[in-house]
Amino acid sequence: MQSLKSDVLDLNRDLFVLEQELLYPANTQVAVFVSMDAGTFFSLDTVQLKIDGKEVANYLYTPREVHALVQGGVQRLYVGNLKVGKHELVAFFTGKGPHDRDYTRGASLEFRKDIGAKYLELTITDDQGKLQPQFRIKNWE
Amino acid sequence: MARPACLCVLAVLALLAAAAPAAARLHDPEALPEVRIQDLPYGDVLFYYYQGKDFEAATRLLAYQHWSSLPHHESDAHLLLGGLYLSLGMYDRADQAFEQLLTSDVPTGVRNRAWLFLGQALYARGQYAEAERDLIRISGRMSPDLESQKELLLANVWMREGKFDRAAQLLSSWRGTQQGWTAYARLNLGIALVRQGRLAEAAPVLTSVGTMYALAPEMLAIKDRANLALGVAYLQARQSAQARVALDRVRLEGPFSGDALLAAGWAQAADGNYRAALTPWLALHGRSPLDRSVQEAYLTVPYAFVELKAPGQAAQYYRTALRSYDEESARIDGAIARVRSGGLLTQLLTHEADSPGAVIAGNDPMNDDALPDRLSYGWFWQLGNVPDDPESHYLYAVFAGPDFQEGLRNYRDLKLMERMLRQWSISMDAFQEMIAARHRAYAERLPNVDAMLASGRLAGLKQRRAALADRLAQVGRTRDVTALATPQERAQWARVLRVQTRLAHDPDTPSYAALRERLRVVRGVLLYRMDREFAARLWHERRELRTIDLALGRARERWTGLESGRQALPTETGNFAGRVGALQQRIGVLQARLAVAEAAQSRSLADLAVHDLEQRKKRLQGYRVQAQFALATIYDQAARAGGGGKPSRAPARPIPAPGAPQP
Repeated sequence: MQSLKSDVLDLNRDLFVLEQELLYPANTQVAVFVSMDAGTFFSLDTVQLKIDGKEVANYLYTPREVHALVQGGVQRLYVGNLKVGKHELVAFFTGKGPHDRDYTRGASLEFRKDIGAKYLELTITDDQGKLQPQFRIKNWE
Repeated sequence: MARPACLCVLAVLALLAAAAPAAARLHDPEALPEVRIQDLPYGDVLFYYYQGKDFEAATRLLAYQHWSSLPHHESDAHLLLGGLYLSLGMYDRADQAFEQLLTSDVPTGVRNRAWLFLGQALYARGQYAEAERDLIRISGRMSPDLESQKELLLANVWMREGKFDRAAQLLSSWRGTQQGWTAYARLNLGIALVRQGRLAEAAPVLTSVGTMYALAPEMLAIKDRANLALGVAYLQARQSAQARVALDRVRLEGPFSGDALLAAGWAQAADGNYRAALTPWLALHGRSPLDRSVQEAYLTVPYAFVELKAPGQAAQYYRTALRSYDEESARIDGAIARVRSGGLLTQLLTHEADSPGAVIAGNDPMNDDALPDRLSYGWFWQLGNVPDDPESHYLYAVFAGPDFQEGLRNYRDLKLMERMLRQWSISMDAFQEMIAARHRAYAERLPNVDAMLASGRLAGLKQRRAALADRLAQVGRTRDVTALATPQERAQWARVLRVQTRLAHDPDTPSYAALRERLRVVRGVLLYRMDREFAARLWHERRELRTIDLALGRARERWTGLESGRQALPTETGNFAGRVGALQQRIGVLQARLAVAEAAQSRSLADLAVHDLEQRKKRLQGYRVQAQFALATIYDQAARAGGGGKPSRAPARPIPAPGAPQP
């Protein structure tokens, strides 16, 4: 049983590697991640992503996924391909803000895609000073 | 006591849950120096791990390791991978993963956690001596939570090895960080002391657990377990009064209530209070006959009536017992027939899949909920739903057995893996189509690409740029102001030169002299203007040259990309096609292996269930023989009493079943 499970896991890894390399070659790959720190002032419901004005992801979170984010997991929300050059990423976050009120915020970032994989991270953090959530986009060089 | 595997699973969960987020967020002495996610792919692995999707987390972790995407979390990744292997029941790989961490260049805290994991893996497999060896290798003290888990595990190892003295010594000073762990440890300590015959020492320990304040169902169950253990221990020590006090603390509705009621009856009977013994025993009469304590109560109730000199009622209850045993035997026969018919597992899993909240397995990366998770996959899966009919209810007890559960988990794992491979197989067809499309597109575009590459346009542009740069340098060096003139100035300058040439051939008369003078002034003004603008124009031209350089640089990159793509694409496409072909073959081979393993596992589970059911039937037959014998004795006595003969001996005291409650 152990040997069979190991073989299936190895095969699954190889299939995942093939899929990623075939669909998202390293030279054109762009990946957008989502992370949350604490999440006291914001309970995440959805994230909508637009790249160069075109919607590429609209994700509805389950409580289990939000819990995984709060615990320190980082979701790879979107992976796709982009040409070399300047691009714009816009993200809209919806959920419940302070006092359990509906809350929608946006963040945007202009970035340059060069040859090689590009990682962008949408971060949701608590601003303890303003008692509000903060939404940022980090460009990983 | 809880099964070793269950304990291991709880401990690993707690340990991993404590470890990984700490690495990401808070300072933890056990964690690596990093306090935040430095490689986003590692966070992606944790995202799946925290959702309990261990198979997906392990798959991604292995893939990211393949791409060397986790340079900052190497040790953390190894530790997590080992934990994932453990939870997936892949012990050999877990060993390897942890042993990679047992080198001197890994921080002590991480190494200690690896030893602890290894100890848990070995304990779960019943390799107690090896588990003890690894746990003792942990150097220094870990964080309070991990230290308490280590000590609890070590105590359990010693108890499994029969070293109750050492376990008792360790647990007497043990301080857990959570109420559950503390209560569990004290329960184990009490049981260890009882097994050593040290009831006087065990009593305060078990009493403290049995009287603790608790609200959670798990804590209440631990309380009941401690009271039952203490009550039975007192009963065996012939201290029935103390036994009753402990047994009275067990809840009437709970997992241990049946055994407690049975033991409470015996505690009364031990003092000859058969009337009082009837109260708990008759309470058992109304309960599900699947419960072994209820089956036993069918014998103890008439036994009490015999002792109370009420043979008529005793005979009536013995007849009820015989009827009940026959009915139960028939149900067991039905259950055995159903298991042997082969449809049991399919029905069980279908029922589960239809139930609300069922998790459908798969590997669709776009659908997270389709992924197998720890709650539905691997070691943590528990049977939640059993078909609702009498035979199935009998099977429920079989299903709940640890051996069957482990086998069923494996069977389900096989099913999930088979479904996952089927989905990948469909993806492979899509990949092949994609590769073929790329190939066609390449063939279509190849003539244009070749024509472009053969045109030498880039080289021509480079030459023109070089000439332009030379010319600009020369203009700058010679300060050729006319070279950078505007079109209008250039036209004016050409006109000045033309007029100058004509005037050079005209006679030297006053009117021509005036014209020459005017020309000189115009020429001077024009030159002055061009000279004034020369520096700005030269700077502008140089900047334009730099812009051309940038554009040319990009063109060169694209040209190079085109050239290398022209060369590499057929190879890459061929590589992908080869990989897809090879993976398709592996999928086929593994699908065949999975089918064989599934069939074998299904047979093994059926054998296990049948064996268990036959054991139950055998036990019922034993009870039936006792009831029959007792009934015959009553009839015999009645006949002798009626005929004035000598009474035969009284019905024998029921023999407690082999599985009767033990402390």
